[in-house]
Amino acid sequence: MDHGRREFIEKMKLATMAGFATSLPTLPFFSSCKSAPKNTLTADSVILLWMAGGMSHTETFDPKKYTPFKKGMLSAKVLTTFPSIPTSLDGIRFTEGLEGIADTMHLGTLVRSYRAADLGFILHTRHQYHWHTCYQPPQTIQTPHIGAWIAKELGPKHPVMPAFIDIGQRFTVGEGEELKAFHSSGFLGSEYGPFIIPDPANGLESISPPEGMDLRRFESRHKLFKELAVSGPLHKATSYQQESMIRSMENSYALLKSPEAKAFNLNEEPAKTYEEYNTGRFGLGCLMARRLVEQGARFISVTTEYEPFLGWDTHENGHIRLKAMKNLIDRPVSQLIRDLQEKGLLDRTLVILASEFSRDMLIEGRPDQKVLDQVDVPEKVEDLKNYGMHRHFTDGCSMLFWGGGVKKGFVIGETATERPFSAITEPIVIDQVHQSIYHALGISPDTHYEVEGRPIYTTPDGHGKHIKELFS
Amino acid sequence: MSSKYTVLLLLLNIILIGFLAVNHRAPDLKEDPELMELLQKINRSGKEVNQALLSALNIKIRAIWTHKCFQCHSSEKRKGELALDHYEGVLAGGEDGEILVKGQSAKSDIIRRLKLPRGDKDAMPPKGTALSPLQINAIATWIDHGAYWVDSTIKLFYEAPLRLIKPELPASKTASDHDIDRFIHPYFKQQRIKWPKPLSDHQFIRKVYLDITGLLPVPSAVDQFIQDTKPNKRNELIQQLLNDDENYALHWMSFWNDLLRNDYSGTGFITGGRKQISNWLYNSLKKDSSYIEIVRSLINPHPGSAGFIQGIQWRGEVNSSQSPEMQAAQNVSQALLGMNLKCASCHNSFVNNFSLEQSYGFASVFARQPLEMHRCDVAMGIRAQPSFIYPQLGAITADSLNDRLAELSDLLVKPSNGRLYRTFVNRVWAQLMGRGIIGKVDEMDQKPWSQDLLDFLAAEFRDNQGNIKDFIQYILTSRIYQSQPVDYGTYDEMCNPGFVFKGPAIRRLHAEQMLDALSATIQPMYPGVSFDPAGYTIPAYWIWYPDKDFDRITLPKPDTVFLRRIINLPSIQKAELRLTADDEFQCYLNEQLLAEGSDYRHIQILDLSQQLKKGKNIFAIQAVNKGKLPNPSGVLFHLRAIGVNGDTVNVYSDTTWVSSKVNDLDHWKKLKFADTAWSMVHRYGSYSNSNWGKLRRFNFDTASFSSFSRASLLAADPLLKALGRPTRENITSRRSEEPGLLQCIALTNDPLLHRRIQEGSLRWLEKYRNQPDVFIDQLFLQLMVRPASKTEKNKMMKYFENNPTADSVADMIWAIIVSPEFQFI
Repeated sequence: MDHGRREFIEKMKLATMAGFATSLPTLPFFSSCKSAPKNTLTADSVILLWMAGGMSHTETFDPKKYTPFKKGMLSAKVLTTFPSIPTSLDGIRFTEGLEGIADTMHLGTLVRSYRAADLGFILHTRHQYHWHTCYQPPQTIQTPHIGAWIAKELGPKHPVMPAFIDIGQRFTVGEGEELKAFHSSGFLGSEYGPFIIPDPANGLESISPPEGMDLRRFESRHKLFKELAVSGPLHKATSYQQESMIRSMENSYALLKSPEAKAFNLNEEPAKTYEEYNTGRFGLGCLMARRLVEQGARFISVTTEYEPFLGWDTHENGHIRLKAMKNLIDRPVSQLIRDLQEKGLLDRTLVILASEFSRDMLIEGRPDQKVLDQVDVPEKVEDLKNYGMHRHFTDGCSMLFWGGGVKKGFVIGETATERPFSAITEPIVIDQVHQSIYHALGISPDTHYEVEGRPIYTTPDGHGKHIKELFS
Repeated sequence: MSSKYTVLLLLLNIILIGFLAVNHRAPDLKEDPELMELLQKINRSGKEVNQALLSALNIKIRAIWTHKCFQCHSSEKRKGELALDHYEGVLAGGEDGEILVKGQSAKSDIIRRLKLPRGDKDAMPPKGTALSPLQINAIATWIDHGAYWVDSTIKLFYEAPLRLIKPELPASKTASDHDIDRFIHPYFKQQRIKWPKPLSDHQFIRKVYLDITGLLPVPSAVDQFIQDTKPNKRNELIQQLLNDDENYALHWMSFWNDLLRNDYSGTGFITGGRKQISNWLYNSLKKDSSYIEIVRSLINPHPGSAGFIQGIQWRGEVNSSQSPEMQAAQNVSQALLGMNLKCASCHNSFVNNFSLEQSYGFASVFARQPLEMHRCDVAMGIRAQPSFIYPQLGAITADSLNDRLAELSDLLVKPSNGRLYRTFVNRVWAQLMGRGIIGKVDEMDQKPWSQDLLDFLAAEFRDNQGNIKDFIQYILTSRIYQSQPVDYGTYDEMCNPGFVFKGPAIRRLHAEQMLDALSATIQPMYPGVSFDPAGYTIPAYWIWYPDKDFDRITLPKPDTVFLRRIINLPSIQKAELRLTADDEFQCYLNEQLLAEGSDYRHIQILDLSQQLKKGKNIFAIQAVNKGKLPNPSGVLFHLRAIGVNGDTVNVYSDTTWVSSKVNDLDHWKKLKFADTAWSMVHRYGSYSNSNWGKLRRFNFDTASFSSFSRASLLAADPLLKALGRPTRENITSRRSEEPGLLQCIALTNDPLLHRRIQEGSLRWLEKYRNQPDVFIDQLFLQLMVRPASKTEKNKMMKYFENNPTADSVADMIWAIIVSPEFQFI
């Protein structure tokens, strides 16, 4: 059931008014014409830390036996290329280089048994599309990003903020078109699309008056717009559309002028914390995400960025590059969790760290359903170039959850100790992940819209079930 | 807390709860008025209800069940052992027993379960929206009256008849009444609607220009039109604009690209699994091919038009409902026949009468071999024989794919296939009037607000050989088109049953119209195009140092790079160079500074006839990539030299160039310099296809250029996207017109938009420096197509504070562009 925008705005006004007066959790009631969700609301915001490119679980959060580099060693004998370290979760170890995140595990849950889909051919952007929309591409309609669903159902916490913010991805890279395909609100309507910030260091620019325009000029320009808008001959015949235009322009102006917009300005952060996060664009993205949560954004995605063959997408030099990637994420992610905890926000903020699939030395796809090999793996490892996980493995991946009602200090599932490192207990699929996020936010599994006569649910056919053990 | 406050709080809560209660009563906004009326008739009938009413009621019930229940309870999938798609199944019930007791709805389990609150374990349906009270009441009424079941082969969903017979033209009081208006008159009379006022000449000229060419009229044309006293001037203007083949084609290209899912970039191209039809489409529009020719070319294609039915060949495993053949069936059905075959691609449709077998039969028309049927992506072991979805029009019997396509194209354009013609005229009507005669243009089985008007237009169009420009002219010359637009509220509200036509709807400017208006009056938005109808091409590339991370090429890092190319020339009589770079460059020829630039849009055009020597010459370029993150950068170079013997020598930027980041002071500019350690450049895009678009002025052979690139020729960039350009992975038959927050943020601070307006304002300032009031008038005349009012002039003059600057001029331009008056037609 689609509501007219006018109605929604009226409802929002009323809800805000009522909300201030009574502090009832009114927003869920206004989400749409559906039965009131019976889920307990444990989260208000979501931060997705996206490890784009296929992050190997055995090289990060699910280490196997350490097999140090020896020139001429058999590829088949290479298990984990890093020694392991303890975490604040009893009995659980990570690989070296993740000491910071290891120290936060008593606050969250480690899921070791995520299984990505079989799409017949490993294509990062297709698996990413599936991960982010829960629907396997191609579809006959444009399916929305999970952030867009959430933006539509809940809106921002604070009315001026964009509800759905995406940090760290440029679209000028290879496969840019395929990336754009899922960074979309699809049939929900473009106002629920992502607000995109490729470079958090320039975050303020996205939310500021245009370059070279000071606040004074910005204000007088807006004033001129308003005067013109009501003085023209057509003003006598104002319409819903015209009012809608003026209102949206007002909202955009309000946002760019608002104190909340300061959240986008990383320079406002004390230098000491800034440096804690500053391992590069991703780290600063985590800092921005924290600031945005503080100011009322609803869903924020921070990505290490997908660029073909770069980042986590290690077709070669796996070990060396994983060192660099872990260095990139360890401090900022742990600092983010610590900061949220300190500020009393972690309990209501669901943080997820995930990747589209994992990696392995030998297997492309999964053991019983292999796909076309994309990487040549020599029988023997002669060079560091061949030392690492280079093929795309879908049968066991790690995912980390903190906050938003998630159990503290818990583990779900395990993978085999010997290759193939598949999930052997409690396999989890993406529908469950999405539904768990919706569960925490109080969005009913029933949520759907009719598109061309067909009900489209948040998960395919509404079948996703949230992971009960994940929540306390 | 004071008691007054408590009372206020209580009151607020009561209002809130009341509001909630009202909302949750929520009968579906789209309740079926026919069903309501049917039930009223039945209730008034007393004990003896006539069979026709009971048949109609049964059909309604079964349509509801198809839509809401068949996903689980049909013969294809009997959840709880219950199948509702045949009478025996309904009477037998399921594993929980019988679902109904004839004559006693109160004792019928189906009614009990339909009425249970959401979340109850027995509630039906178990998920999704409950049936509405009206629908439940209908089922109860049906049970109470004996649960009458009509013949099982009846069609449950209304299907608009295919045949098209031209209705009689209503009589009119005046001989000069336009055909279309003759249908509007009686409609308005019956609905008691007053005719909207006519558009003023200013409003009219702006509207027709935008609707035919996508451009705004220039002030001189407006003046001429206003002064003209000929009674026929409006029709003449329409004719004149339609004769502007080029601009007509460039504007309507967007309508067709959206409809045929054609684009210059997008998913699927990366592996060659997708083909454009841009060239063929542009040429078809330019020469005004008839709709019949267009349909034939799309269905029975030659290489240029094959991209439509070829669809997208996706890599990897694809759901069988998305095979290219099935895509063809879906896209042809949707675009040309206003019918949704998507549901039936996976299972018997829950929203119309089409079955899985029919959709596979139709898809097989486009296949080399008959397709194996899959239900919900599970193979069924049966192959479908090629068939046409409307067999009453004819059969497809040929053996080869090509022959089948020829047969299909014949069937589609048959005069008896009224559906084809109605679908198209409805789309054009929607485009020009803001809402179709049938509101949802992809659902041509919905009821039109005037069947006669729709049929008349479709028949007229068909009988005129499907001439498209004629049809557009037909609508534009009507009085109703030339009337003041009406506020209908949201699009959803416009599509409710019970819609009453009151006149043209207020429409929003499309992204392309907005940006073209800016390009024409303020500053060209884009220097390049993604699709070049003229097809000029050269083997030049945007070259740069091959930046890498871990041996993998990345986008160019912010840095300074050096490039070299030694050229060996014969004696030449003439030589010309085209050169540009992003972001900055200096170019040395034989150690002399030849040219420099800091804006890739400014293409250096140099005559080098004197500077080049016979024998070896060295071009050395120093270039800078600015910015903070790796971003697209490149140098584009084309030297054309003509030898004294008449031979042409071409030198392009390509992999014959070498590059380095090492700054060897001035030595690197010299001919005798050891550059063996330098790397071969990387090609970051070709002249024809790159981040910058095909630069129109980088071209020796075209004498005159249109002054700016029409936005319809651009692939979607962030600005176009923000302003509503759709992804054309699927068919888009209507763009959203809502200006949401994200779009308004773009209008407020998009860097490209801002830069162009600032650049344009400088030029305007130069031109009208000492005449601010002339300037204000010109701006209004060019953008708003009317002079500024006194109030507006005063406001603007006040804004300038008697001293217009580039900034204040830019602000003025911006305020006009984003004003509702500019944004809406």
